[in-house]
Amino acid sequence: MIPQPSRALADLAGKLVNDIAPETSSTYAAANTGMIAMLLGALAQDAERAVASRMDDIDEMQRLFTTLGRDCDPDNAEARTRYVGRQPASLRLGDVDALHQDGMALLIAVHAWAEDHDPDLDRSIWRLLHRHTERNRLDLG
Amino acid sequence: MHPALAPLGERFVAYLSDRWQEPLTLTGIEQIPGGASRETYRVRVDGPGGSRGLILRRDPVSSLIDTERALEYRTYQAVHGTAIPVPEPLILEEDPSHLDRPFSVMREIAGCESAVAALAQPPFDGLRERIGERKWSLLGQLAAMDPGQLGVTGFMDVPDHPARRELDYWAGVIDADALHPQPVAQAAIRWLRRHLPAPSARRCLVHGDYRSGNFLFDAEGEIRGVLDWEMAHVGDPLEDLAWSLDPLWGWPERTLAGGLLPREQAIAIWQRASGIEVDREAFRWWQVFASLKGLAIWISSTEDFVNGQSKEPILAVAGWVMTDRQNRILLDRLDPASTHDYAEPLL
Repeated sequence: MIPQPSRALADLAGKLVNDIAPETSSTYAAANTGMIAMLLGALAQDAERAVASRMDDIDEMQRLFTTLGRDCDPDNAEARTRYVGRQPASLRLGDVDALHQDGMALLIAVHAWAEDHDPDLDRSIWRLLHRHTERNRLDLG
Repeated sequence: MHPALAPLGERFVAYLSDRWQEPLTLTGIEQIPGGASRETYRVRVDGPGGSRGLILRRDPVSSLIDTERALEYRTYQAVHGTAIPVPEPLILEEDPSHLDRPFSVMREIAGCESAVAALAQPPFDGLRERIGERKWSLLGQLAAMDPGQLGVTGFMDVPDHPARRELDYWAGVIDADALHPQPVAQAAIRWLRRHLPAPSARRCLVHGDYRSGNFLFDAEGEIRGVLDWEMAHVGDPLEDLAWSLDPLWGWPERTLAGGLLPREQAIAIWQRASGIEVDREAFRWWQVFASLKGLAIWISSTEDFVNGQSKEPILAVAGWVMTDRQNRILLDRLDPASTHDYAEPLL
């Protein structure tokens, strides 16, 4: 069998909601069962896409940083140049997350700079954040 | 009564019998879900005076909101007996030896509902507008009360600049608790610092978490108890109004604040009850702040769930699901090209 974590987690969430929660004997247990089912549903969505969505973010940040001159947020210009050339140590989520977080820290700094100096760049970063947020959106019904 | 809760119930009743000097027996105990900042139990005891319903709120191992139990309890004492209905506070016990952790006791307000979802079914259907009217009337009445006359200034600071104080506090929570960079939260903090309003002339007791789910209503459409005062403080009256209107409380419904009324209708009710006309420019700031404060709480609960002792599911739901929703709301509010998919434009 090829494991399909997303499907398994979604099925377990359904089992909790439909079969187990109605059998619980207290409102406290039923409420917690519902919340755990919701979390399983979120895990089901993210298990499938987590690496891909972070890699898409990394790719977008690297492309954006490539377009920026050294006079843009000059304190971080060298760090941005180094970031553009980096790849995650592996495709394990922890390694991808580490590179993603480094990029987000640089993005926050350049966004703060853009608010004061470059309205077009400010708008571009808001659009990037919009796409980032949509990639990670949880649809839980 | 769940057998696992009986030992706690028996210890509690032994404590009460000693404290009240009357023989009491435990007839029921159940844990109430959703007590993110305190473990909350509904307890029923019998004694010479008859049967009594009590609410026991015990400090948790780990909390969604870091709060001071004494401040919350004293706030209940200050508000009880005013036009704002709250459960009667009975005991504050700070000695952890009795039930392992400090706790407080309130008189139960029975026969009520707190979930707005209940308004879709009998006997609460048809009450949505009535409860919305009561909700924002009470909040307006709270805003109109003098915090000095209420007595809360004896144990709460009166800030010179409420907006700055609240922003500094919640931005600090994000800086301290965020487990990874938060680009939307940081953009919101910068926006709020750039647009800080002048301090308003009015100060009031701010509930701090006045939203759907934190009040009890009955089948006649009356609000019988406003709950969860753990984030109460003296501040700007617009803070509670903006918090009560945050899109998160009606999610995914965007047009009814808290799932009850259109936002402008809620504001009109609040203005009539408070006698305060909303300063729209300042209110824009408080609306963005409300979404940032929510995000700070969710970020903090993530940290609690990951690093703390408690593994309560509500901490993880807040830390993940609520963070996702609140990020989308904040982004909708601040992105110059927003299409307002998750939040109506700022009022």
